[in-house]
Amino acid sequence: MKKGTMFRGLATALVTLGSVALLAGCGNGSKDSGSADKSGLPKATYKVSKDTPAWKKDKTKMTTLTWYVNADWWEKSFGKDEITKQIKKDLNVNIKFVTGDDTKLNTYFASGNMPDLVTIGDPNSKVARTANQWAYPLQDLANKYDPYFFKVARKDTLNWYKIDGKTYAYPNYSNTAADYNSGKILPRDAFIIRKDVLAGIGKQDFTTPEGFVKGMAAIKAKYPKLTPFGFNDFSGGNSSLQNVVQDMLGVPITTKANKYYDRDTDSDYIKWLDAFRQVHAAGNISDDSFTDDADTFNEKVANGNYATMMMGSDVNHGTNLQDWASKDSKGEYVAIDGIQSTVGREPTLSQAGISGWLINYISNKTKHPAKAIQVFEYLLSDKGQMLTNFGEKGKMYTQDADGMVKWTPFAKDLQLNHPQEFNKKYRIGEFILFGHDRYKALNKDSYVKAVWQMQDWGKKYLKPQFKIENIAPNPGTQEARALSAIQTNWSTTMVSLIRSKDKKSFDDTLAKYKKFQKDNNITDINKTRNDNIKANMKKLGQD
Amino acid sequence: MEINKPRKLPIGTRIKEWGKAWGRQWQLQTMVLPGIILMIIFNFIPIYGLTLAFKSYSVTSTISSSPWVGLQNFQIIMKDKYFWQSVQNTIGISAIKLTIEFFLPIILAILIFELKWTPFKKLVQTITYLPHFLSWIILGGMLITWLSSNGMLNQVLRLFGIAANDNHILNASSYWSIASLSDVWKEAGWGTILYLATMSKIDPTYYEAAEMDGASKIRQIWSITIPEMSSIISLNLILSVSGLFNSNLDQTLVLMNSQNQPKAEVINSYVYRVGLTQGDFSYATAVGLGVSIISVILLIITNTITKKLNDNQSVL
Repeated sequence: MKKGTMFRGLATALVTLGSVALLAGCGNGSKDSGSADKSGLPKATYKVSKDTPAWKKDKTKMTTLTWYVNADWWEKSFGKDEITKQIKKDLNVNIKFVTGDDTKLNTYFASGNMPDLVTIGDPNSKVARTANQWAYPLQDLANKYDPYFFKVARKDTLNWYKIDGKTYAYPNYSNTAADYNSGKILPRDAFIIRKDVLAGIGKQDFTTPEGFVKGMAAIKAKYPKLTPFGFNDFSGGNSSLQNVVQDMLGVPITTKANKYYDRDTDSDYIKWLDAFRQVHAAGNISDDSFTDDADTFNEKVANGNYATMMMGSDVNHGTNLQDWASKDSKGEYVAIDGIQSTVGREPTLSQAGISGWLINYISNKTKHPAKAIQVFEYLLSDKGQMLTNFGEKGKMYTQDADGMVKWTPFAKDLQLNHPQEFNKKYRIGEFILFGHDRYKALNKDSYVKAVWQMQDWGKKYLKPQFKIENIAPNPGTQEARALSAIQTNWSTTMVSLIRSKDKKSFDDTLAKYKKFQKDNNITDINKTRNDNIKANMKKLGQD
Repeated sequence: MEINKPRKLPIGTRIKEWGKAWGRQWQLQTMVLPGIILMIIFNFIPIYGLTLAFKSYSVTSTISSSPWVGLQNFQIIMKDKYFWQSVQNTIGISAIKLTIEFFLPIILAILIFELKWTPFKKLVQTITYLPHFLSWIILGGMLITWLSSNGMLNQVLRLFGIAANDNHILNASSYWSIASLSDVWKEAGWGTILYLATMSKIDPTYYEAAEMDGASKIRQIWSITIPEMSSIISLNLILSVSGLFNSNLDQTLVLMNSQNQPKAEVINSYVYRVGLTQGDFSYATAVGLGVSIISVILLIITNTITKKLNDNQSVL
């Protein structure tokens, strides 16, 4: 009998324990019903002033903010390196970074337990387009807690991210028209060639399709070991053969009447695709270029495997270009005139647009709205920018009368001989959630030497493309689905065009694509795009 | 079939009887409880999420607050050319995989089983298991290099005097064979484990007796080994047929490129692309639901067939 009781007791205990443990996991799903009532913002605990940053006056004790960054690569530590240590001290704030991908972001929304600050990367996403439902308008926060924000934020950028009259987001690297005109924004795309090859093949003209085909053949004849023509990898999109080539040719971004212009089927561009076809048919483009992933491409750049390249985003490949230049100074890549319009248009190189890159929001569930806007204001201010880009003044850098920055010998030695420490302990140029090129441009050493000539080459060709940013139809709509089908088809089509055996199959493939566009409601999609272009121009004050 | 119905008892009595029986063994019964709770939480409650397939959901709304749209998502599926292309590819690739990957491990297992020198047997087993432990990310990268224009395959072909310069992974028409053969290579060795375990349980006296009766090795395999394994073979068949629509997402994401996409896109990668990359959750859920229903139907069909083949005994 005793045995039976023991067994019964044990069983009950086990079951209870198991059930409790299981249910406990689901217990804290209670939703935070604290709503987004704008008038519900608590009063500022300090005297608000237009001329002084609020963080100088706010004497509240250490506040902890959770900041979700929708990018797995973001470094989560805070307060351990010299830069974030200073931010922590100045703002009296402790930031808990959380990183993740879209799945995690969606989970946050589904659970209703939002972090205080949110950073995402896609201005076209549903999250960004419905920000007015889950984020605080920056204007309201700034007026209430930190009006100095309006001094450091760019008006154009604030306008750009307005939804129904208020701004909910502030991106990093958002270039305004003034930035484009300042000369401080540097181009990043160029047709580049190895210096030794350029000298070795005699006079060649890479600017016309015919000359390009001939030039590649000349390279093949003289340097059989090199692949004559290369381009960026296809893993993240359509390599440098779509937008970048179109920019090189100065293909217009809209029609004269400011309607959507299909750059992919522009006749000038198609002529060049046909030239690439001929280069490929002659064996001077390797099929591997279509399958290489980013790492393989980087390796090939760092080994100088390509004689010439249509290089998109040279800054991002700076390390590899520099690697190669240090290995073989005679074979260093240089930018030359190449791949140019057959109808006399100038290149219209693009750079980060007004939408910027990473977009920062303050969630309307945050309990510390004052601190949150102070973080935005601080990081956007001169003080914050100089700190995150160059570290502590005097110790890491000195500044001339004209504002230009130079590394101190200490910083230089660190960068050269202890790059690990430079990155980890000092975190120079890595805390970029509010970064901007106009500060980076203050120091020539922000970019590796290997890309300086390429940047100089394209300087005069930079042109904004703000009008056509984020004009795609809303995700989830029938148009968005059709557009995604068309884009998928275009990726296949573009590579097929280049790999066509002859002109006839080239033309057939192109005709098929045009038919595919028609079958997938391209006219409806373009109508949406036209509306969005119009709305963009209104925001830009160009209407 | 006419069964003597115990239903003659009134329903109240039956429940009482059942309750009594349950009461006698409540300790044992309650032990199942954690398992049931686990299943309710992780398998049944998420079923609620399937309502997304009939709604128009966006990230910033909740499942309950998004509006119903009826069968709209399914109507779009019907017209979606890319979806049907992915179904075709999934079935095509899976069918090849199924055929080879079903038979090959059986043959391989028998071969290994018949090896009598243990060190060599172990070596063969290790070598055939090995690829299973590499993820598709690594293996895919290797394959892309091997199949590139100057890769291992072309170099070997050139050794035999065949002019080979193609980048095979760009060739849409060969994608199905690349995908299925590489998967067979990766998994065949691993697939032998169940069979080998079953074979080791076969009574050796059967073989001794057969040998005395003068049965050849082939005869022994055919008349002893295979019949003894029949239940595990049919179990494997059922599982793999029901997995016909369960295409390999990792493999596809690594090996797919813009040129082979028309032949490489499978249902899973399509759902991933539409659902996660483009944020079209409702549509992706509808696709997932449709595929699950078809998978269940397939499962039932194969179970019925194998039951027939297996003396009316289900292995499930």
